Amino acid sequence: MSRKRHRLVPEPFGLKRRRERGDVEVDSLRGESGSARAAVAELVRLFPRVLFEDALPPIVLRSQVYSLVPDRTVADLQLKALQEQGEIRIIQLGFDLDAQGIIFTEDYRTRVLKACDGRPYAGAVQKFLASVLPACSDLSFQQDQMTQTFGFRDPEITQLVNAGVLTVRDAGSWWLAVPGAGRFIKYFVKGRQAVLGMVRKAKYRELLLSELLGRRVPAAVRLGLAYHVHDLIGAQLVDCVSTTSGTLLRLPET
Amino acid sequence: MLGFLSARQTGLDDPLRLQRVESTRRVWGLELNKDRDVERIHGSGVNTLDIEPIEGRYMLSGGSDGVIVLYDLENSSRQPYYTCKAVCSIGRNHPDVHKYSVETVQWYPHDTGMFTSSSFDKTLKVWDTNTLQTADVFNFEETVYSHHMSPVATKHCLVAVGTRGPKVQLCDLKSGSCSHILQGHRQEILAVSWSPRYEYILATASADSRAKLWDVRRASGCLITLDQHNGKRSQAVESANTAHNGKVNGLCFTSDGLHLLTVGTDNRMRLWNSSNGENTLVNYGKVYNDSRKGLKFTVSCGCSSEFVFVPYGSTIAVYTVYSGEQITMLKGHYKSVDCCVFQSNFQELYSGGRDCNILAWVPSLYEPVPDNDDENCLQMNELLKTKFLSNLHFEDIFAF
Repeated sequence: MSRKRHRLVPEPFGLKRRRERGDVEVDSLRGESGSARAAVAELVRLFPRVLFEDALPPIVLRSQVYSLVPDRTVADLQLKALQEQGEIRIIQLGFDLDAQGIIFTEDYRTRVLKACDGRPYAGAVQKFLASVLPACSDLSFQQDQMTQTFGFRDPEITQLVNAGVLTVRDAGSWWLAVPGAGRFIKYFVKGRQAVLGMVRKAKYRELLLSELLGRRVPAAVRLGLAYHVHDLIGAQLVDCVSTTSGTLLRLPET
Repeated sequence: MLGFLSARQTGLDDPLRLQRVESTRRVWGLELNKDRDVERIHGSGVNTLDIEPIEGRYMLSGGSDGVIVLYDLENSSRQPYYTCKAVCSIGRNHPDVHKYSVETVQWYPHDTGMFTSSSFDKTLKVWDTNTLQTADVFNFEETVYSHHMSPVATKHCLVAVGTRGPKVQLCDLKSGSCSHILQGHRQEILAVSWSPRYEYILATASADSRAKLWDVRRASGCLITLDQHNGKRSQAVESANTAHNGKVNGLCFTSDGLHLLTVGTDNRMRLWNSSNGENTLVNYGKVYNDSRKGLKFTVSCGCSSEFVFVPYGSTIAVYTVYSGEQITMLKGHYKSVDCCVFQSNFQELYSGGRDCNILAWVPSLYEPVPDNDDENCLQMNELLKTKFLSNLHFEDIFAF
């Protein structure tokens, strides 16, 4: 009797969903990571530490996490939870309001301490890392927050800006920043354009993912093809179409 | 589906549940159908569509040449193949026709005796449907981008008008003049929408990246400016609240009025809680939008998980509202799509675009199963035989 009742309660929508949304099969690049944390850990491995002589913490972009975790809203929620727990910091990279970098807090802290070692602003930076970072997990800081809640004076804030830990956003508000990230941003922007250019120059403006990864890396791409491809797929700058020969990257018509 | 029917029959399930499940299933199967057509009257792009809320039978469309056409959507012929005919139209030779492009048309919410239209020729006209003459004209100093009349209002007859100037004007139909203005935006107002839940709550979207919620009874300014970062509210930062990183193009309340959807030229669509202005952070991905004026999109009504239909270039993208999942892209228009409306009684979608076509997207039905009736079989056989014979004749003639 109870089994019959279970069958009456539904299994919805007998209509088969006929249209594929371009979901990808398992490919060399696209192993499914269930959670955002696993995705960030996997992407951190793709970051070229050698290029920056270990002075920069490994930076991962939010769009890369979207390419590994297919449901964006769930990815956003998980990243927000990680941010609130203090495991990751989200940094506004200056070139695009959408592009946000994700760094593990531990990596950030060690690298920043190493970068400011022996410099005149070391004291202010250490005070910042000790008091402000654990307390406030936002991307930006306001004037009254810094002076009243955390007790920073104006000269100390200037020292933090000189150290590269804060970047000016507006009169009286600052973004959190990574010292020495300028080089990374330069390589990233150039590399993104170069990889997009590779797809654009292809016949019919589409390329199989396996073929793209197998091509010779152009000189402008310093961070690695896989790193950039994850970012392009997640930022929806290329359409991902699943075909019988694997994943196809196609430039959108619009 | 049989499970749902038997649950309904035995009383285990609410009747509403079967209705919602079937509506959702039909929306999942929306596609172009060779049996349904809308008569092509417009000679230039279709800017706006509106279906009357009383019966869902008549549809108004406004075009870039100022022409307004009224269609009858009901299929009273017994044939499956049906073209929605134009009942009447206000063409270029009508004495009161708009001089420039019609941007918004809307039926009077309580009956089909009246409708309003606003246009780039700086006027809002109120038309009598039966005589097709203007009952009233409101003139403005700037071009009108959008107007809306509250669907639930009983205590007021205000029409909210968004123009190229930064002030939202409220025109009263009873007195025939503008009753008051709402100040707060800094650039042109691209979309206005009344809440379907409270008759005094209005939402406006502007090119200065801000979307505001107003209570029109309050003189001192807007209730909430929507902030995409859900930041802390402090006086200094209030002015920096933006809903999008570009112009805010379109606004749509969900059918229960509890949430508000906005689209912007930063290629994003956001879902807001309309009572406290909080960004629910549902991520729809890239919703391509390069329209320089308003984008008219719509939300389904009566399904178990609501869907939003957004014009995306020359296709229409369908997303679930609360989870952000993209269901499908409806391809069929030749040029960019400007507007779409949902007919909730039959779960049909009508869309108009720059290619002057209005397309009807109908839930795909199953192929009819042939009956086992003897008469039908016989008739079928006769038909096939005559066809076969006539073919033979034809070929014989050809051979010689």
